[in-house]
Amino acid sequence: MTIDNKVLENLEKLSMIKIEEDKKEELTKQLTEILEFVDNLNELDTSNLDSSFSTLAGGTPMREDIPDSNIQISKDILSHAPKMADDFFIVPKIIE
Amino acid sequence: MITLKEALRKSREELDRLRLEIEEKARESNLNAYIDFSKSGDGVPILIKDNIQVKDWTITSGSKILQGYIAPYNATVIENLKANGLSPFGRANMDEFAMGSTTESSYYGVTKNPYGEDRVAGGSSGGSASAVAGGIAICALGSDTGGSIRQPASYCGCVGMKPTYGRVSRYGLASYASSLDQIGPITQNVEDSAILYDIISSYDPKDSTSSNLELIPTAKNLNPDRKLKIAVIDNYIREASSDVQNTYKIAIEALKSEGHTIIHKEMTNTKYDIASYYIIATAEATTNLARYDGIRYGSRVEGDNLQETYLNSRNQFGDEVKRRILLGNFVLSSGFYDAYYLKAQKVRHIIRDEFNKIFKEADLILSPVAPTVAPKIGSFKDPLEMYKSDMFTISINLAGLPAISLPISRDSEGMPIGLQLIGNLFSEQTLFDGAMSLERAVNYI
Repeated sequence: MTIDNKVLENLEKLSMIKIEEDKKEELTKQLTEILEFVDNLNELDTSNLDSSFSTLAGGTPMREDIPDSNIQISKDILSHAPKMADDFFIVPKIIE
Repeated sequence: MITLKEALRKSREELDRLRLEIEEKARESNLNAYIDFSKSGDGVPILIKDNIQVKDWTITSGSKILQGYIAPYNATVIENLKANGLSPFGRANMDEFAMGSTTESSYYGVTKNPYGEDRVAGGSSGGSASAVAGGIAICALGSDTGGSIRQPASYCGCVGMKPTYGRVSRYGLASYASSLDQIGPITQNVEDSAILYDIISSYDPKDSTSSNLELIPTAKNLNPDRKLKIAVIDNYIREASSDVQNTYKIAIEALKSEGHTIIHKEMTNTKYDIASYYIIATAEATTNLARYDGIRYGSRVEGDNLQETYLNSRNQFGDEVKRRILLGNFVLSSGFYDAYYLKAQKVRHIIRDEFNKIFKEADLILSPVAPTVAPKIGSFKDPLEMYKSDMFTISINLAGLPAISLPISRDSEGMPIGLQLIGNLFSEQTLFDGAMSLERAVNYI
């Protein structure tokens, strides 16, 4: 699998990350090398194996849905946020 | 430095003096193991990796994007420490978001190895291991996603332990790869490791992957005289450097002299472990790191509109973190999801089945931790080369097993070489018993 500039552009969009022009060549080369390496998994026959995996016996357990909230944590997070007012995070204008 | 066992017997006044001494020594040190000297309580001081929440501390996961973030609650492990006479003291340096094997990706600069300041301390819990081995911390907490406790412990010459997945609550640990992450102790010896493991392990309803199997204390039941069956992986050792191979021989002789039975096994090539690890870890990381957008916490770099604010803020991630986010989005993206992510999940079954087969015959497995001693700072030229150096540690995380790395010998330049013992799921007692026996027999100084 080769990562070219077009694939990279899509990944930047999915990742909400902008890669600087002068770093693109090296990065596409590195990503291609990594993917070529991980392609070695195709040497293994996995046709009869489950695609979900849990280290816990029986999978992740279910629990009762009991409400539990510490309002002070929400208040502390808000008070430390980059920009806030009342009970809100402030963001740049989203409607023109 | 006094041990954790000794420190737990000290009076309040003695601990106050000890804290001052540690801070003075650590401030003079060139290791760059401590990021700061935050304090939370008057108990036995313990250094905390910068990705574990301590209420009211700045916790940044070694990243620029989290500058200014203040933890609003204690991680469950921190509550457990406080309930048992320990108090968080100082934040330990680490690779950004625990993504790295050298601490070189930290926003705070590289942590140095106490046995050679031109060498890395390893990573990602490099600050924790360097401080404990360098005599400026009694003990520390680290986190291990693919070897991040055991590898730096091996490079620095101290004891690092990764518990069974689910034994220690991840509540309050900044998530990197949630199905692999586990908090664990970094200590000066095996007994302290067991003491600290007993303290931090607990069932926690706040972590849905926490195990509620009965917890039996290990430290007071330590028995290095148990005779165990220990498997050595012959094909693994052939892939390691000659110094590591010699160390392996020393350890096997030591284990035989202690009366353990050695059996020989082979395991599938480690290249498959590396491949499935870097697919699963990056897939989970990309999801976990989506929350860092500059809006709710950490550092925001304002743009003209919301999208620009996201992009500018996320541009504060370092290169390695960006690379893993991009890679994670690739393996999860439409058209590639089956071929990469699902394939890697299936390979986890193969890896676990292989361990299960060995544990039908053996109590423990002896394995290298890293293929070489601690490399020189700046010596990894490309990311894939660094990923490959995780070859011996990551299968343990993929299978969820417990393992402990302890120092065995040194190379001709005096650099420490550790090896790891791997146990079956929830067999921490056997793991500590075997490790204590090996520690006694090799008598590493």
